[in-house]
Amino acid sequence: MIAVAFDAKSRLAAILFSIAAAVVLGGLVVGLTGANPISVYLEIAKGAVLGRGLDETLARSVPLVGMALAAAIALRAGLVNLGGDGQMLIGGLAAALVALYLPVPGAARAVLALAAAICAGGLYAWLAAILQLSLGIPFLIASLLFSYIARGLTSYLVRYPLRDPATGMPETYRVASGARLPAHILDLPVSMAMVIMTLVAVVIVVNDRSGVNGFEWRMTGLNARFAQYSGVDLSRQTQRVAFLSGALAGLVGALLILGQQYRFTDGALLAPGYTWSGLMAAVLAMASPIATIVTSVFFAALQVGGFSMERALGLPAVLTWVLQALIILCLAARPILFRKR
Amino acid sequence: MLNMLLSQVLDLMTPVLLAAMAGALCERAGVFNIALEGKMLVGAFVAVATSVAFGSPVLAVLSAVLCTAIFASPLALGGARLGGDPIVIGIGLNLLASGLTTYLLGAIFGVTGTLVDPAVTALPRFGVAALADVPVVGAILGHNVLVYLSWLLVLVFNIYLFRTPWGLRLRGIGEVPSAAAAMGANVSRYQTAIVVLAGGLCGLAGAQLALGSVALFAENMTAGRGWIAVVAVMLGRAHPLGIALACLGFGLADAVGLRLQGQGLPNQITDIAPYAITLLAMIGLGLRGMKKKMKSV
Amino acid sequence: MLLQMKGITKRFDGVVANDEISLSVNSGEIHALMGENGAGKSTLMNILYGLLKPDAGEILVDGKVMDFASPLGAIAAGIGMVHQTFRQFPDLTVWENLVFQNEPRQGPFVSADAARDFVRHLGTRHGLEIDPDSRVRDLAVGIRQRLEILKALSREARILILDEPTAVLTPQERDGLFAAMRELASKGMALVLVTHKIPEVIAITDQITVMRDGRVSGTLVTRETNEAEIIKAMVGRNVPPTVATKVTSDASPMLSVKDLSVRKGGVTVVDNVSFDVRPGEIVGIAGVSGNGQPQLISAVMGLEPATGAVGIGGHDISKLPIARRRAAGISYVPEDRHLTGTAPAASIAENIVFGSHRTAAASSRGFLRKDAIRAQARKLIDRFRVKAASEQLPIGSLSGGNMQKVVIAREVEHGSPLIIVEEPTRGVDVGAIEFIHQTLIAERDKGRAILVVSSDLTELLALSDRILVMFEGRINASLSGSDMNEDTVGRWMMGGAENR
Repeated sequence: MIAVAFDAKSRLAAILFSIAAAVVLGGLVVGLTGANPISVYLEIAKGAVLGRGLDETLARSVPLVGMALAAAIALRAGLVNLGGDGQMLIGGLAAALVALYLPVPGAARAVLALAAAICAGGLYAWLAAILQLSLGIPFLIASLLFSYIARGLTSYLVRYPLRDPATGMPETYRVASGARLPAHILDLPVSMAMVIMTLVAVVIVVNDRSGVNGFEWRMTGLNARFAQYSGVDLSRQTQRVAFLSGALAGLVGALLILGQQYRFTDGALLAPGYTWSGLMAAVLAMASPIATIVTSVFFAALQVGGFSMERALGLPAVLTWVLQALIILCLAARPILFRKR
Repeated sequence: MLNMLLSQVLDLMTPVLLAAMAGALCERAGVFNIALEGKMLVGAFVAVATSVAFGSPVLAVLSAVLCTAIFASPLALGGARLGGDPIVIGIGLNLLASGLTTYLLGAIFGVTGTLVDPAVTALPRFGVAALADVPVVGAILGHNVLVYLSWLLVLVFNIYLFRTPWGLRLRGIGEVPSAAAAMGANVSRYQTAIVVLAGGLCGLAGAQLALGSVALFAENMTAGRGWIAVVAVMLGRAHPLGIALACLGFGLADAVGLRLQGQGLPNQITDIAPYAITLLAMIGLGLRGMKKKMKSV
Repeated sequence: MLLQMKGITKRFDGVVANDEISLSVNSGEIHALMGENGAGKSTLMNILYGLLKPDAGEILVDGKVMDFASPLGAIAAGIGMVHQTFRQFPDLTVWENLVFQNEPRQGPFVSADAARDFVRHLGTRHGLEIDPDSRVRDLAVGIRQRLEILKALSREARILILDEPTAVLTPQERDGLFAAMRELASKGMALVLVTHKIPEVIAITDQITVMRDGRVSGTLVTRETNEAEIIKAMVGRNVPPTVATKVTSDASPMLSVKDLSVRKGGVTVVDNVSFDVRPGEIVGIAGVSGNGQPQLISAVMGLEPATGAVGIGGHDISKLPIARRRAAGISYVPEDRHLTGTAPAASIAENIVFGSHRTAAASSRGFLRKDAIRAQARKLIDRFRVKAASEQLPIGSLSGGNMQKVVIAREVEHGSPLIIVEEPTRGVDVGAIEFIHQTLIAERDKGRAILVVSSDLTELLALSDRILVMFEGRINASLSGSDMNEDTVGRWMMGGAENR
């Protein structure tokens, strides 16, 4: 479903074209609201790398790369996972529950919390895949509807049964410090979440490039009939890919809870829009994992730059969201523009 | 009591019904439209922004229709005319709508979250005080013009599809575009026109959402209604009456949810109701389809 | 002369598909256009219907020179075409299909009553009655074809082209079609019947134009000719190259099919078929298209539900999914290399290894052995003389012949004892054809069992040790030795018994 450019060079050209076109269109939007596009872009660029910008970009990259890869592995195999929000919430909640209530020593609790998040997020996505395979409800729709259900469910749970009455907020108790993921490893500016996400990314990239499974997924995305004819069990593979995509989303939820927020606060996981930014990064990268990592770090930098721009110029940081969407629309329009050669 | 519930159902189902009609038109034309959510949001924003500027509800509705039709043109051009991927374009449009409305809210009005303004008034309702307590009649009266327009559009759409030459051509184009082209129909022109028209309908849906029961714009106030409309198109098999029925079911779930909320059930649970009902309806339909298949084998 | 085509020439990328073709059809005449696949019939008819523009030559209707920019021009000139695949809207009713784009109106509405009357009237006038309110998807194929003819007639066609109209019909439906065709001719229409079934041509036509290799190889009057003459014109004089046919081995069968049946939409498309393929022999399946060959292969591969038994080397595989059947020892070259046989956007090397990528040669512990895979790909590209600059190129960038060589190379390299090949050389250039044939023969000589399905009779005669002929879902003849000649095979392909 995602247009596959034949070689890396034309893919890169397409991505650069989309970004350039979106910058022009976004500048138009900025100009129409009475601001100077050039100073806006300058502030975004400065904010993304200067001062604390680089650290913030790096921190924001962790969940964004995770959600982008979750979208990418599904897209690679021909599945559109729009339910990342729900899978992340369910995973995050599972992690919070284990970290808060499981009576085992600290570090083991963290490990089990991560495992629980992976399982919960994966199963939540797998359920949507089952609906597609057995009842013909499109995965795209089912996974999205499940997101809204997860949103209501988790919101209810943290407001009522799981609520920490001491804070005025709809949130759970704080996770004990022993069950948290360290923010610094050996006093380096590297968090445990970063290490875990890097490992996951490496596994995904290696699997995509050299793994037998990754090969089968990619070929299925390119031609499902050929894959079936070559002996791939499509139903089993769809279940597996959906599970892994959801598991990764669940892991992202857990990393945010255990490594950054330390409790499950209603709305906190979804507010930054990691799922949708990630999906856009994956689409922009045409689902190649390596390219997805690059585009999602780029989007993370863009967003961090956006916040800095907001502080400096008072224009809403959500402008960067507009830019991301414009990039995707320009990419979708690209085959149209370049076809008539 | 029952009258109030029914009246509420009719109010709540209207935006979804209008958006679902837009989706069904596209479906009939063979364009998969998942941008309903975003287009509704743009319609809602434009309606409120126009109200703030001019204070005129009529102007607000008209500009919502116009601007949303323009907003739909990337799908019309990319998806219908030139063969871009409608799913990618749909995702892009939804996110663009969400980003753009939030950005403009801040950049133009200096507001985050919710925009309320004394110039923004809800669309006038046509009530007859004397009849308000007559069962059913009372519930059917007392809505704004968009609610009645949506019913009229169901009928018009039904007649258009099944009674007019253009409707016949549209059904043919959506089913087998190559056959329609072979018979001399201009497929891409039809599809482009329909997608733009559907954009206008989504504009109406957004206007109803913003100026119907409330008179405000809130960030991402569509809250998934556009997706429920997508599902309503599937449940109603792109048939106007079937869709109206599906939307009625959605409105009922929503209204009952609100009722239960009044009875003390947390709104987080009742918020789930429309999505859960929608999903259950899809599952029911899927099971029935499966049974039929089993029988025929 | 109602229709004349004079000196029509059409080239595709330098290959001549039509070379100075002339064809004349009188009012009231049924004219057969015959020839094997690839002879240039479709090109000629597409030119007549305005779908292609000829490089040279002219078309005259009623003596006036025509220039069709599109089918709409041809339709306006009174030419109608009944395609092999119907251009219909299954969800719409018969009358909706018939008046599409040409609706009778009453104010802004379609007048359904007027449309129904129109359908009934049209049907009665031409002896092709049809219920206007039926939904097209519920109709039998024969009736859907009738609708297609009525669509052409509703636009006042005087020249009607029928492209392989009987390929999808039952004998009874076919007889009905012929009666209708005669009726239309008797009213002064000109009909062009595109076909390669000889009995039909003899039964119903007045004149015959035979094409071979893009040229007219015979213009015959049906009353004055016979089967032998037609076959000669179709196949040509050149005797197929003799292949050293091995004595059929007595080894136990590698593939054994017993009482295999496939039903589709209430029609039995494969009817109680039984046959064996032994190691060291090539068995060909001949038959006019539409007689159940693809369904038979799909059933053997497990892609289509079927009843009956399929065995490999003595083991029953009829309950296994496709992957396990392939693992049990079947290699399979599918009919359509773009749709099923490859992932065109993936590289040549990836396309070669896919399917055997889980073997020790290609992967270990879940990781692909990329160097080995690429080396293997380079080896095969060399050995099969595939013209490709690199094994890393997308396979979709290769020519048809080179792409097919890659697919054959892949399947042969699996080392399976049984190889099933559908249409080994369709859309492939001459050099590649020769090479692919030699490859298959070499594999047979190594002791493999090979099953070939082809719509090209010359190819089957050149390759096969034994030919099974499929007709209407059954195998109605198993021919070998001196019986394996185009006359006999051709006769059985046309139904056999009725010619005895």
